[in-house]
Amino acid sequence: MKILATIQKEFLLLIRDLGGMALIFLMPLMLVVVMALIQDAPFRDYQEMKLEVLFADEDKDSLGQKIENAFETAGNIQLLHENDTAQLKRFVLSGKYKAAIIIPKGTSAMLRRKTHNLISQLFANLGKEDSTTFDNKSDGLRVNILFDPAIKANYKQVLSNGLEKVIANVQSEWILDELQIQLSEGTTVKTKSKIDLTQLVTVKEYQLSQKQEELKLNSVQHNVPAWTMFAMFFILFPLAGNFIKEREEGSMLRLRLISGSQFPVIAGKFSFYFLVCLLQFMLMIAVGIYLMPVLGLNQLQLGNNAFGIILTACCVAMAATGYGLLIAVFFNTPQQALSFGSVSVVILAALGGVWVPVYVMPEVLQKISYWSPLNWGLEAFINLFLRGASTKAILPELIKLVGFAMVTLAASVFIHKSRTIIN
Amino acid sequence: MSEAIVQIEGLTKQYRGTLLPAISEITLSIPSGAIYGLLGPNGAGKSTMVMMMCGLMKPNAGSLSILGMDANTHGAEIRKRIGVAPQEIALFHSLTAYENLNYFGRMYGLKAKMIQSSIENYLEVFGLKDKAHKRVHTFSGGMKRRLNLIAALLHEPTLLILDEPTAGVDVQSRNMVVDFLQQLKLKGVTIIYSSHFLEEAERICTHLAILDEGKLIVEGMPGNVMEQHSDCKNLEALFLKLTGKNIRD
Repeated sequence: MKILATIQKEFLLLIRDLGGMALIFLMPLMLVVVMALIQDAPFRDYQEMKLEVLFADEDKDSLGQKIENAFETAGNIQLLHENDTAQLKRFVLSGKYKAAIIIPKGTSAMLRRKTHNLISQLFANLGKEDSTTFDNKSDGLRVNILFDPAIKANYKQVLSNGLEKVIANVQSEWILDELQIQLSEGTTVKTKSKIDLTQLVTVKEYQLSQKQEELKLNSVQHNVPAWTMFAMFFILFPLAGNFIKEREEGSMLRLRLISGSQFPVIAGKFSFYFLVCLLQFMLMIAVGIYLMPVLGLNQLQLGNNAFGIILTACCVAMAATGYGLLIAVFFNTPQQALSFGSVSVVILAALGGVWVPVYVMPEVLQKISYWSPLNWGLEAFINLFLRGASTKAILPELIKLVGFAMVTLAASVFIHKSRTIIN
Repeated sequence: MSEAIVQIEGLTKQYRGTLLPAISEITLSIPSGAIYGLLGPNGAGKSTMVMMMCGLMKPNAGSLSILGMDANTHGAEIRKRIGVAPQEIALFHSLTAYENLNYFGRMYGLKAKMIQSSIENYLEVFGLKDKAHKRVHTFSGGMKRRLNLIAALLHEPTLLILDEPTAGVDVQSRNMVVDFLQQLKLKGVTIIYSSHFLEEAERICTHLAILDEGKLIVEGMPGNVMEQHSDCKNLEALFLKLTGKNIRD
């Protein structure tokens, strides 16, 4: 009854506080949308990379064509012809294009010659050919890649590896051709067989969970749960703000003067802001599902464990409310509470992997991040959304969140009670 | 008037980090059904006394018994039977008068019917009926003060503690409050009344005590006290005589 009265009172106070309402619902909504949009490009960098590369084929022979065909099939690197190498260098240097490939004149011929010599050498070693018939002095084969100094290391690596792979394939193909030519000498067989070496071994990606469709960590999958939790922890703003305001205005004193009102006051506030946190969660999830696709982003995929999601949302809401309550009772002025509260939530969020995933952090920070409740919540959500985790699998995170909530709630009640009676 | 509803003996309270006690060895008793004026300049120790009576502060020494119970050990039970109107406007300013009173009534654990009838009755008595659904932040100082008093009365307390109940209100509101307190006294409610308005205290108090620098300077019925200081023409003159003319902060 008393708890319900406090919940109703908190509801009335909140709906009349337009600033507080905006802070609870509008700010997180804008934050999650803006962050998802901003981080969309970096996430695509890693997973849906599209790189435009200038291509100067001075060779005008088969190697250039094969490189072009290979990149066209790969899809993530688009070659743009630029025959003027001086202009090409200027473009890369100015950063207009991130990279360029130059195939010097005579590269194909040189590669053929090298292949021929290699096979001839092989046959000579087996005593099937005269060792004096091949040229050992051919220069090293060189295909040039130019990079913008500002290019990301992973782009650089992808392009270099891709090019080396194409050249290796071409070389293997030509070695086979050359082998067939040399082995067919003196026989009636004149037709060469085409063998595609790239098909000998293929790498196929399998989903670990059969229920999960192909799903990758993208901006929406990361940002929606991450910033939702950040917003939920920012519940401390209205919670602590109202609590301290009540203390300063005197209404808290009256409640202290009412016998047995301390627990219902704390429990009522906790329950109300817990419900607000859940409402925030539902709003953010709805944004992820319905608004993000409208903005050209991916739709949030929730996985298939609805019970686990609700349970995790409840645990995060409990932890966030408990923390807000502790800040509210501990500090004496709104300035102290809100400054400490906001900075601490930002730090906990950063450590928890809200901005960047924990696995890209230095090892020391990764260890510290295990102590952030935002990390526990985020891990649980990512496990549910992307890995199709069962409720049992996320139980350790949930226990930590509930434990954190219980500790902060108990501390809040203790501090609040201890300040009711002045020794 | 009969037995003491409040019995204080050798009560002492010194705050941490201070050199002098806020309350020093005070002994007094407040008879049931009295309007007891607790007077004194700023810093005299009135609010400390009130806090200890409410069970919100523990004394360093001495004993304090309210309604026959030790305030130190039975604070919760005592708070059930006392009503306190603190000096601060202890209300939720974004809520309406009705919402405030309804909430406090529920926190007192009163039944919905009783809350409803009490609210209607007191809003009527204090001339706030037509403002019942207006938010408190739109109220004048006098209206807030009256509502602050109603919030202390909802659960029909046996002992009412009022800390500056008429501070910052106009003459009409003050008269209304004073008249009401006199009616309350007739119903047998004991009232402890802390105020700076000495004329008002002289008018309504059946007993009074003057505190200064934590010490009890004088205590008794106003008539008896004035008789002991026949050179003072009124309570204010007596107050200045006993506490001096130096400004207190």
